[in-house]
Amino acid sequence: QDMLIFDHNTAVLGTSWFTGHISVVLFSGVDFLMEFKPKGKRPPVLVDGVTLNGPTLDIREAESFLRDAMPIIMEEAVRKATDVKEKVCEWRSPEQLKEVLDLELRDGGEANPKILQRCRDAIRYSVKTGHPRFFNQLYAGLDPYSLVGRFITEALNPSLYTYEVAPVFILTEEAVLKKMIEIIGWTEGGDGLFSPGGSVSNMYAVNVARYQRCPNVKELGLSAMPRLVMFTSEECHYSVAKAAAFLGIGTKNVYVIRSDKRGKMIPAEFEKQVQRAKDEGALPFMVNATAGTTILGAFDPLEEIADICERHSLWMHVDACWGGAALMSNQHRHLLKGIHRADSVAWNPHKMLLAGLQCCAFMVRGQTDILQRCHSANASYLFQQDKFYDISYDTGDKSIQCSRKPDAFKFWLMWKALGTKGLEERVDRALAMARYLAEEIKKREGFRLVMEPEYANVCFWYIPPSLRSTPEGPEFWKRVHVAPVVKERMMKKGSMLVGYQPHGDKVNFFRQIIISPQVSREDMDFLLDEINTLGKDL
Amino acid sequence: MLHSGDGILFTIGLVDLFPKHYAYSCDHKAQFWSCHSKLQCARSCEACQCVVRHIVPGLFCGVATVNASFWQLDHAANFCSSIVVLCSLKQLLCLFPEQPLFLLKLPVGFSLYPEQFFWQFCLKSFLVKLTLVCDWREPEDLAALLDLELRENGESQHQLLKRVQDVAKYSVKTNHPRFFNQLFAGVDYHALAGRFLTEALNTSQYTYEVAPVFVLMEEEVLSKLRSLVGWTHGDGIFCPGGTVSNMYAMNLARFRAFPEVKVKGQWALPRLAVFASQEVCHYSVMKAAAFQGIGTENVFKVNVDDRGCMNPEDLCEKIELAKSQGAVPFFVHATSGTTVKGAFDPLESIADICERLGLWMHVDAAWGGSVLLSNEHRHLMKGVERADSVTWNPHKMMLTGLQCSAILLKDTTDLLKHCHCADATYLFQQDKFYDKSLDTGDKSIQCGRKVDCLKLWLMWKAVGSKGLEGRVDRAFAHVRYLVEEMKRREGFQLIWEPEFVNVCFWFIPPSLRGDENSPDYQDRLSKVAPTIKERMMKQGTMMVGYQPHGGRVNFFRMIVISPQVSHEDMTFFLDEIERLGKDL
Repeated sequence: QDMLIFDHNTAVLGTSWFTGHISVVLFSGVDFLMEFKPKGKRPPVLVDGVTLNGPTLDIREAESFLRDAMPIIMEEAVRKATDVKEKVCEWRSPEQLKEVLDLELRDGGEANPKILQRCRDAIRYSVKTGHPRFFNQLYAGLDPYSLVGRFITEALNPSLYTYEVAPVFILTEEAVLKKMIEIIGWTEGGDGLFSPGGSVSNMYAVNVARYQRCPNVKELGLSAMPRLVMFTSEECHYSVAKAAAFLGIGTKNVYVIRSDKRGKMIPAEFEKQVQRAKDEGALPFMVNATAGTTILGAFDPLEEIADICERHSLWMHVDACWGGAALMSNQHRHLLKGIHRADSVAWNPHKMLLAGLQCCAFMVRGQTDILQRCHSANASYLFQQDKFYDISYDTGDKSIQCSRKPDAFKFWLMWKALGTKGLEERVDRALAMARYLAEEIKKREGFRLVMEPEYANVCFWYIPPSLRSTPEGPEFWKRVHVAPVVKERMMKKGSMLVGYQPHGDKVNFFRQIIISPQVSREDMDFLLDEINTLGKDL
Repeated sequence: MLHSGDGILFTIGLVDLFPKHYAYSCDHKAQFWSCHSKLQCARSCEACQCVVRHIVPGLFCGVATVNASFWQLDHAANFCSSIVVLCSLKQLLCLFPEQPLFLLKLPVGFSLYPEQFFWQFCLKSFLVKLTLVCDWREPEDLAALLDLELRENGESQHQLLKRVQDVAKYSVKTNHPRFFNQLFAGVDYHALAGRFLTEALNTSQYTYEVAPVFVLMEEEVLSKLRSLVGWTHGDGIFCPGGTVSNMYAMNLARFRAFPEVKVKGQWALPRLAVFASQEVCHYSVMKAAAFQGIGTENVFKVNVDDRGCMNPEDLCEKIELAKSQGAVPFFVHATSGTTVKGAFDPLESIADICERLGLWMHVDAAWGGSVLLSNEHRHLMKGVERADSVTWNPHKMMLTGLQCSAILLKDTTDLLKHCHCADATYLFQQDKFYDKSLDTGDKSIQCGRKVDCLKLWLMWKAVGSKGLEGRVDRAFAHVRYLVEEMKRREGFQLIWEPEFVNVCFWFIPPSLRGDENSPDYQDRLSKVAPTIKERMMKQGTMMVGYQPHGGRVNFFRMIVISPQVSHEDMTFFLDEIERLGKDL
């Protein structure tokens, strides 16, 4: 019986090209499996001038390209990029870089060796965020398990809308969320999803809080509602303002609460602002408390904030994108005391837990279907009601996205590899390292802590020798403004990367972030030495 | 050595592809696998608690069993290299369930000539298709199989690798040539290399400082996409998905019309009105309107013609209707390539209306945008250059892999920045030593943002615009072929002539043919697609979507994109639907 028919168009073993077709015949109880039957030329199937015989993609060639690309990625983007002896970055000005990269996209394609060279170039001039001396952002380092997880999801290319299309990834997302919810301490359970970034998680929080307060906002829009007001501290992440603007609430309706010297929200000020909003006839609906502020790494007092929220029936959201990792540590989870009273939490494992971009969980407390109700649009082509399995697993409609990347999986795999204990150790080590650095800064001449670190942010000024004898006054502070120059020099040298910023009334200071388990005490010493080397002539 | 015997043996000759592969068999009756070295084999064996007995070095790897059931074979596949997993007998049987057991005897010391020749191209064009598209498990069973729980302690490397195998095994193979279920499919290997690279570099695209290569690359790719739209200047950004891109468009339109909205919120504005065709009204437009505080009731649904294209006259009427209700029209959401039908709204006429009334014209070409690559088919989007914004998802028809979605803007006034910026001092310092206009992160509503441009750029460099055009043209040709085939066969009823690569049809099983007038016909027809879908998923032979739509009961929507697809797959597709549905 003619069972499988296929065309082939490539010769092997150096024989000539030929077109034929072959039947595979499977016999019962006989001596051979295949019958090789070239049947002569078969007319090509031509439609609109396009030949449809056989696939156009040569799988074997494609595979061989990938096999060639992988060693480059492993050697250049993984091994060298995490080697402390290599540069963190290879600075080129935008004009130079454009020329080197030859970015233009043309009509014709390029051969594989050329493409591999392009991969090398992209790696060479990219900043090595996995390098032990990359301290510039709230993420750093490289976890091999998570990276494998990411390779897998990239290869499988699933999209998280339905169980049908992403069975494994729907379940791993659920398992990770369940565990994170448990760690937050919501004994009543919770719901959640992974979103493309902490900013989007915070947007979810605003939208869900708003919907909970005024359920018909979904249909009628804000025009039909009283003026809504939300609260956040002055130290919060800028995404809160972005969320307010994007969701139509307006940045002016975000009432900013003063923080204390350590960057923590002052609860009494919060209550005052709530009263102010009420006096104005507006409807206060939520507060965004921050656990781990971006610059100072401060934790808002969650218990007190929760009390106020209860008194005024406000939705309490905790932006723990950065600080959430402290929950993994028995020693440090007190920083987030009271988080179990929050209505929603945003927590980014791609930051301190090294899951790799992007991995951001947004979670709401309790057995609730508010995510579904608030965001669903019931697309009939995805969420058919007559499916043969339990459609509660089709979680895609909880999201504001349609296609969604399986961001939880890499974290799941890493967690399986390290265990909760392994993650806890990482957090403990990073915070111990921050402590060490702070002590070193206090010991050394020319460095001054902005404040004692509570978390992994160590903020400090560098005072170049020329200034050390100047008395502290307006003139002194004006001249302490050396960070941009030091930064420029370190980037051009490629020795390390650390961020700086002005903040409130404080002039530019460095913000050192410690996360990666690749980082050692020597790197801390190096940081200070290097800043001194780069800035001592200023 | 393997013995010729009364068991089942299925071999794949992989001499030069996997020269170092060994095939191993062990006493345990169902186990046979291949691996790179003896060492690895010994480990595998530990796992299955049996002893290595037979070693067949060098020549081939495969799945073999003596007196084993297929389920055991399936189990053995767990220990095999990917190729073996690709074609276990179970999978063969799924394709040909009516065949009796295949029995095969191979002489001892069996050489691969001339079969080697045969398998060589098998691998190229055919073998991949023997893989199941999915290996269906009920959620509870799968949860148990995967052992999802996260515990105190970590696991051994060996266990983790097993997990990796399980994940691959039970995941849906969206790259499979017979995955027709969504608006994405197939794999481009250059893009895949780009994605691996992106993941290894783990870059976040906020500033030139942290992402020098990708800031420049994104700019270049966006400018190329814009030039295909027909704009020499403009702006844009990559977003996490087409829905978010559409949200950007709506927010920008609102901001352009009422800049005070950013600070004062919706309360400073009159009630706003959005317009979209009823074809698309159910999804991202609704999500955007709800999310941005405009309200889903303020989305006015414009009627469509039979082909699913927006009716421009009705758009005018709906605009009048909105005005009469006191709402202020500001945004028209046109679609190029609707999700279900693949319809293209008439952009020229819509642009006329938008220009006349000063409305923001957005074209959601997330799905259809790729026609712009093809000289032959770009007429479908005639007038797109008159739009204010365009959403285009290269992760769909261009195969870059999720996620890759761009919002493209005609605007040259830095609207995107003004609308979204928050001027975070810790990222966007004003005293940097380079041109800080390159710090494009503040244009985004995100903070950390994945690099989505590298995979597209790398693929484009490798394939060229011409190559991409060829892929689009080929997908259209496939659809033509499929439609002709369908017309020739009994039982396939096209719902409308496809304009794009969405082929929507009913399969009418023999028992329903000629029964069109019976009162329960629609009801019975509506049950056909879900049942066929269930069967195809449980057998794993292919995946295609279905839905009810606009008063029509459940019908299939076949999407043809991947360059791995050939006309044989079209034939297979139709045969398979017939096979799965003939007894319904």
